[in-house]
Amino acid sequence: MAMLAREKETLAAISNTTRGSLQVLHHPPKATRVVQLFMGGAASHLDMFDHKPALEQHHGEPSDFGEPIELFQNGLGPWMKSPWKFAAHGESGKMLSEVVAPLGACVDDMAFIHNVTGKTGVHSQATYLQATGFQDPGFPGMGSWISYALGSLNDNLPTFVVLPDHRGYASNGPKNWASAFLPAHSQGTTIFPQRSNPIDDLQALAKFVTAESDRDGFALLKKLNGDYQIARPDDSRLESRIRSYELAAKMQLAAPTALDISEEPEHILKMYGLDKLGATYPAEINAPEEIEYFGRKCLIARRLLERDVRFVQIWSGNDNSFPRRNWDSHENIARDHGPLATGMAVGAAALIQDLKQRGLLNETLVLWTTEFGRMPSSQGGTGRDHNPFVFTNWLCGGGIQGGTTHGLSDQWGYKPLDRDNPTQVYDIHATMLHLLGIDHEKLTVRHNGIDRRLTDVHGHLIQEILT
Amino acid sequence: MKSIVLVTCLLIFTMDMTAAAQDPILFQPEIANIFEQHCVRCHNNQTREGGLSLQSRATAMAGGESGKLFEISADTPSLLLELISGSNPAMPKDAKPLPAKKVAAIRTWIDAGADWPAEIELTDRYLADRDWWSMQPIKKANIPNLTTLEKPLQAWARTPIDHFILNKQAEFGLLPSTEATRQTLMRRLYFDLLGLPPTPEEVHAFLNDDSPTAYEKLVDRLLASPQHGERWARHWLDVVKYADTCGYDKDKLRPNAWPYRDYVIDSFNEDKPYSRFVEEQIAGDVLFPNTRDGILGLGFVAAGPWDFIGHVEVSEEKIDGKIARHIDRDEMVTNTLNTFCSLTIQCARCHNHKFDPFTQQHYYSLQAVFAAVDKAERPYDLDPETQLKQTRLTQQLAEIDSRQAELTQEIIRAGPELVALDAKIAELKPKIEPTDKPPEYGYHSYIVPSSLTEKWVQIDLGREVAVDRIILNPCHDEFNAIGSGFGFPLRFRLEGALDKEHFRVTDENILFADMTTTNFPNPRIAPVEFEGRGETTRYLRLTATHLAPRQNDYMLAISEIQILDSEGTNVALGAQVSALDSIENPVRWRKSNLVDGKWPQATHEDASAELLAVTRERTALYTRVLTPERRKRQETILAEKKATETAMAALPKAHVVYAAATDFSPQANFKPTKGKPRTIHVLHRGNINQPGPEVQAGTVPLFDNQFEFDLPPEQTEGDRRAALARWITRPDHPLTWRSIINRLWLYHFGRGIVASPNDFGRMGQKPTHPLLLDWMASQFRDHGQSLKQLHRLIVNSATYRQTSDQDSILADLPKTQNASLSVDQENHYLWRARRRRLEAEEIRDSILTVSGRMDHTMGGPGYYLFELERPEHSPHYEYYKFDPTDSRSHRRSVYRFIVRSQPDPYMTTLDCADSSQSTPQRGETLTSLQALSLLNNRFNLTMSQYFAERAAGDYDSLKQQVKGAFELALNRKITELEHQQLMTYAEKHGLENTCRLLFNLSEFVFID
Repeated sequence: MAMLAREKETLAAISNTTRGSLQVLHHPPKATRVVQLFMGGAASHLDMFDHKPALEQHHGEPSDFGEPIELFQNGLGPWMKSPWKFAAHGESGKMLSEVVAPLGACVDDMAFIHNVTGKTGVHSQATYLQATGFQDPGFPGMGSWISYALGSLNDNLPTFVVLPDHRGYASNGPKNWASAFLPAHSQGTTIFPQRSNPIDDLQALAKFVTAESDRDGFALLKKLNGDYQIARPDDSRLESRIRSYELAAKMQLAAPTALDISEEPEHILKMYGLDKLGATYPAEINAPEEIEYFGRKCLIARRLLERDVRFVQIWSGNDNSFPRRNWDSHENIARDHGPLATGMAVGAAALIQDLKQRGLLNETLVLWTTEFGRMPSSQGGTGRDHNPFVFTNWLCGGGIQGGTTHGLSDQWGYKPLDRDNPTQVYDIHATMLHLLGIDHEKLTVRHNGIDRRLTDVHGHLIQEILT
Repeated sequence: MKSIVLVTCLLIFTMDMTAAAQDPILFQPEIANIFEQHCVRCHNNQTREGGLSLQSRATAMAGGESGKLFEISADTPSLLLELISGSNPAMPKDAKPLPAKKVAAIRTWIDAGADWPAEIELTDRYLADRDWWSMQPIKKANIPNLTTLEKPLQAWARTPIDHFILNKQAEFGLLPSTEATRQTLMRRLYFDLLGLPPTPEEVHAFLNDDSPTAYEKLVDRLLASPQHGERWARHWLDVVKYADTCGYDKDKLRPNAWPYRDYVIDSFNEDKPYSRFVEEQIAGDVLFPNTRDGILGLGFVAAGPWDFIGHVEVSEEKIDGKIARHIDRDEMVTNTLNTFCSLTIQCARCHNHKFDPFTQQHYYSLQAVFAAVDKAERPYDLDPETQLKQTRLTQQLAEIDSRQAELTQEIIRAGPELVALDAKIAELKPKIEPTDKPPEYGYHSYIVPSSLTEKWVQIDLGREVAVDRIILNPCHDEFNAIGSGFGFPLRFRLEGALDKEHFRVTDENILFADMTTTNFPNPRIAPVEFEGRGETTRYLRLTATHLAPRQNDYMLAISEIQILDSEGTNVALGAQVSALDSIENPVRWRKSNLVDGKWPQATHEDASAELLAVTRERTALYTRVLTPERRKRQETILAEKKATETAMAALPKAHVVYAAATDFSPQANFKPTKGKPRTIHVLHRGNINQPGPEVQAGTVPLFDNQFEFDLPPEQTEGDRRAALARWITRPDHPLTWRSIINRLWLYHFGRGIVASPNDFGRMGQKPTHPLLLDWMASQFRDHGQSLKQLHRLIVNSATYRQTSDQDSILADLPKTQNASLSVDQENHYLWRARRRRLEAEEIRDSILTVSGRMDHTMGGPGYYLFELERPEHSPHYEYYKFDPTDSRSHRRSVYRFIVRSQPDPYMTTLDCADSSQSTPQRGETLTSLQALSLLNNRFNLTMSQYFAERAAGDYDSLKQQVKGAFELALNRKITELEHQQLMTYAEKHGLENTCRLLFNLSEFVFID
C-alpha cells in the first residue's frame, strides 16, 4: 500500500512539478514561505544574542561548571566575557551585542529562544541535525520536506533555493539540502550569484548556441517529443517531460531577472550594505567584505521570495579550515565573529525590514540557526570551544509573536536554565511546519520500513512564541 | 478474511454487553494476554518506554514516568484506564485502540484489586511470532499447469516463469501482451544487460539474423560481454552505498575504494556463485585466506559513509568518539542486513523492532560481530618477488638497528647518567603544557614522505656577534593530536658561520651542537638550550637530519630561536630568516615567526626551569661522550640505514583497498583494534551513556530462539564475521535467496515481486508472485547460484519480451475484452512491459557512445569530473570548473570518482543513487532542472560537438549527416517527416545544435 502510494506520489510529482504532496493543508497557515539563515561552524550565542552579566563580573576567574564536562577540544580556560558591549533595543528592550546592533531595529518583530540544545559537538552531525532533523546522512533537508509537502508557488523558478557561502560549502555540503528519499524535485537548487551560470546549466555556454537556435530548438523538441508521446498516449510521464522543457525555458528568462540587483534603487542597496559594490578587500577577514557578501544574498533572497520561491536557505561560513572563514572561533572570537556577525546583522536586518515594508514579512517565516553554541569559558586564549548543551535560535515573521524571549539559558549560558525542558530542533521544526499549515506528525513518507518525519518521533509546538 | 474479523468483533461486543461485567477476571490468561499482545513490545525491561515495564508484577506496580498505573481514587479511574479508553486513547501508541471488551476486562480486573501473581512474568508475544511470509521456509513450488488456459495463451508461454505469470493473471482476468518488435527488444536488451546502446553494426546484424534463436544468441553474447559486469555492478553499488569519499563534514577522499568496485564488476563478469560473493564481502579474509577476492570483498563493509572528525579528531574515550564508532557499526550492521537479507534491523537500535520480531539484543549482537573492525586501508595482492625483497631489506634494517643499539649502549656506558636524565625529562615533560599560545606558531618546513630528509632554517644576524647561548623553543599544534614539541627534529645540528657560503663546507663551520647520532628526546615545549661558548658568528643554521613525524609524513617546525649575547639580549629578534623551504601559511606558519619573540609558554614554570636545567645537563654530557670515532661510526650507520630505507621505499607498494580492517597505520585518535573486539552493550534508547547488559556476537533468530553464535571463548573477531557470513548463506535461509532474486527481477521489470526490496518485514510489501519467487529462489540456490543463468531465465521469458503498448493484448483469443487497465493499471501482474527512463549512467554512457568518444578501458582509480581544490583539509569538489573535453573522463560512468557529500550535480539531476543511503531502486523524475542539464550542461554541449564531428566525418552531405546522427542516437530509421524537420533546423543552426537536440529527445532517454 505504502509503496503504491509512493508510486502515485511520484507520478503526481512528475505530472506537475508545482504541486505538493498535501492535497489539503492540515489547518489554515500563518505563513507561506521560509527563509532560513544558517551559520556554519557554530555561532556564539554569548557574543550576540544571549547577554550574560555574570561573565562580565567573573571574567578571568577560573571557570567552574559544577560538574565534570567533556568538550570537543581539550582545555577549559577561565570564564570569558564577550569582547563586545551589550545594549537594550526596541520596545521589548532586548539586549543585543554591538556587533549585531543593526538587528536592534527588528527585535520587536523577533522571538528569541535561548535554550536550544543539541546532541553532539561534532560539526558534521550537528549540522545534519539542525538541517535535516537527523544526525546521520541520508535524510531530506527541512526545505525539501516543505517543498515536497507544499509544492511550488511559481512556475518559473525553483521551489527551494540555497545560497551557499560564496567561499564554499559548510559541513556536509549539498547533503544538507538533499531530497534523500523524497522525490528529486524537492531538493534545494544552489545559486551562486557570482558565477557565469548562477544556477547550474541555466544557460548554454557554447559558441554554437544562439538565442535563435534555442528558440527553434525548443519548438522542434516540442514537436518531436509530442509525436513520441502521441504514439504512447497512456504514459503521462512523456507529457510531463514536454512540460518540463517549457518550464525550463521560462526559468531561463525569469532567473537572470530575479538575480539582477542592478535595478534596485540606491536606498535599498544602501540598506543591504551594497552601496560600495566592486570594492577590493584585504586578505584578512573583514567586516565590509562580509557585509557585501551576506547583504547580496539577503537582497537576492528578497527578490526570490517576491517571485514566489517557497524556501530560501542562506549560509554564512565555509568549511572548518584555516584561516577561519566561518564561525568556528576556537582561537579568537573578536577576529572571526566580529566581521561575520556584522555582515550577518546588516543583511538580516535589511531583509526583515525590507520584507516588512513590502507587506511580505507577515507571510514569510524567518529562522536564524547554527550548529551549536560556544562555551562561556575560553580555551586558554581568546576563543571558545563548542557548546552543544545550549545555544540560541530566533524566528521572525508570519505567525511569530515579536518582541518575545522564550526559554532561558543558565547564568553562564552553559546549559538551559531549566535542564528538564530545553528546546530541541524538533520543536523548532514542528512549530515552523505548524505555521505553514502542516501537522508535523502527519507529514510522513515510508522509507525502508519506517514512516519518516522531519521531526522523527519528537517535536512539540512552541506556543509561547506564536501570535 | 475481512468479514471474519468483523464477525469476531461483533461477537466480542455482544459478549461484552451481556456476561463480561459480572465474572471475575483472572490475570492469567486474560489480562496477561492483553499486555503481552499490546503493551510489552514497548514497555519491557529493556526498552522501558515512558519508564515503564509490564514484564513483571514488581515493575508494573512501580509504574512509569506518568505515575502508578493501577491506583484508583474516588473521583478518577486508574491511570491505565485513562490512557487506554476514550475516543482517542493515548495507548497503545501508533496502533488501533484496544477493543471495548479488552478495556472492560482491564477495568474489572483493576476494580477487583489488580491481582498479579508474582510468579507470572510476561514476554513480548510478538517476538516469537514468525508468522510472516518472508520468515517461512522457501516452498518447493511446482510449475503451474496451463492446460486449463486457452491455446494461444499456452503457446505464448516460453519458460516456467511465464507459467507462473499466466497463472496469476488468470486469477484476475488479465491477459498478457504480444511480443515487442525486434527493434524494441534489441534496445531493451542492450540497456538492461549492458547499460549501453547497440552500435549500428550490431543493430544491422541482429535485425538481419533469420535464425529462430537469434534472440537467445544475442542474450548469450551480451551476458558474456565484460560490459555486463559494469552495468550490474552499478546496481549493487547503489544498494551498498559505494562512494570514493568518506562523506560527512570534510568529505575526504578515499583514493583506494575503487578495487572493491572493480571486484564487484569482476565477480559479476565471472559469474561467481552467489554464496561465495556474499561470504567474501563479510568474511573473505577468514573463509578464503590468501585470495585476492577474500580481501577485496571486504570493501563492502567499508562502502558506506565514515565520520573523519568523530574518529580522527575525537578519541574513543570521549562520548562523541564513542558515538561516532557506534554509528559506524550501525552503518555496517544496517548495510549487511538490508543488502543480503532485506531486513530493516536498524529499527531495533533504540527500542525493540516495532513490527518485526527482533529485539535490541539481537541488534546489538550484530554490532558485536563488527566490534573489532574499522574502515581503513588494507593491503592485498603483493607479488612474491617483492615479498622476498622486502623480507631481505627488513632483515638488513634489523641488523643496522642492532648496531645502532650497540653504539647507543656504548654511549650510555660512557655516560651512565644519561638514563636517569632521560627518565627525569620524560617525567617533567607532561607538566609543561601551554596555557596560552600565540596564533603565530612558528616556522614549518615542507612535508616529506621520509624522516631521513635534511631540512634547514637559518638566521642572519646582520653582523658578527659573540654568542653566549642559543635557545630553541618548540612548537605546539593540535594537529594529529601531537600538541607540544610539534615538528621538533629527532636529530639535528646547530652551526654558525661568518659567511653563509661557508655552510657548504662543513669543516669551516662553528659547531654549536651535534645531536645527529641518537634521537633527541622530544622536549615538548620546554626551551632547549645550547652553549655559545662566546664564539663569534653572523649566521646560525639549524639542520635537521631526522625529521619529526606528522601523519604518515615528516617535517621540521620550530616556534622560536633565541640567540643571546653576553648581555643576555636576544640578538635574533626580528633578524632575517631563510630556509631550504617553508610552507608560508600565515599567520600560523611563516619564516619570520621564528624570530618574532612569540612561542608557547609552559604552565608550570618550576617544571619548565627544571626541565631546562636537566636538558642542559644531558646535552653537555652527551657532547662529552661523543668521541670522533663514535661520531664516525654513527655516520656510517646512518648512511647505511638511509640507503636501505630508500631501497625499501622503492619497492613496488602492496596494493591497498579501503575495506574492513583491524590493523592499519594509526591516524591521531583513529587506532586499529588489532583484532580485539570492543565490548558491546545493549544501549537503552540507543544512548551511549546508558549501557545495559553486554552481548555476544549473534544475529536475528530465524530458525529457533538462539541468536548468539555458538563460538568458543577463544574466538577471534574473524570467527564472528565468518559465523554471520555462513548464517546468511545457509541453504535454508528464508531471506537471502529471495532477496537477491527479487533484486534481479526488479531491475529487469522496474518493480520487484516484493515492491520493497530492502524490507521483507511487516512494514514492507507482500510478494505479488510468492510461488514464482520461491521457485526461482530454490532453482537458483540449488543449481549453481549463477546470476547469469538467472538473467537468461528472465530475459528469455515471454513475460520479459512483451510490448509496453497498452493496446497490444494477445489477440486471437475468444474473449477479447481487455480488463488489464482497469484491474491493474499499475501493471503489478506484468501484462505488458514497463517503459522506463534511462538511468543517469545510461544517459551519460549513451551520449559518450554515440558521440564516438567512449573509451572502454576497464577498472582502476575513478576519474574526476571536478577540479579538486584544497584536498589537504576539507576538499572542494568544483564541478563547474571541470573541462569536459578531458579524455580521461570519457569512460563509462561506473568508473567516475563518486563524491558522497558533494555529489555530481549533473548525475544527481538525472536521479543517480545517493551514496549516503542504500538505494535499492532509483527514482525517476522529470524536472525542469533536468531539462536544463540535458540542454546546457557543458558535457552535453561538448559531446554535441564531438557527435557532429563524427557525423561529418562519416558522411558528406548535411542531409546524410543528420540521418546518420539520428540513427546512431535512436537505433532506428529516420522517417521522412522527421528528416525534413531536422534538416530545416540543421540548415539554419548547424549540425552541432542538431546533435544537441537529439540528446534531448524523449526517445533518446526512454526505452519501450
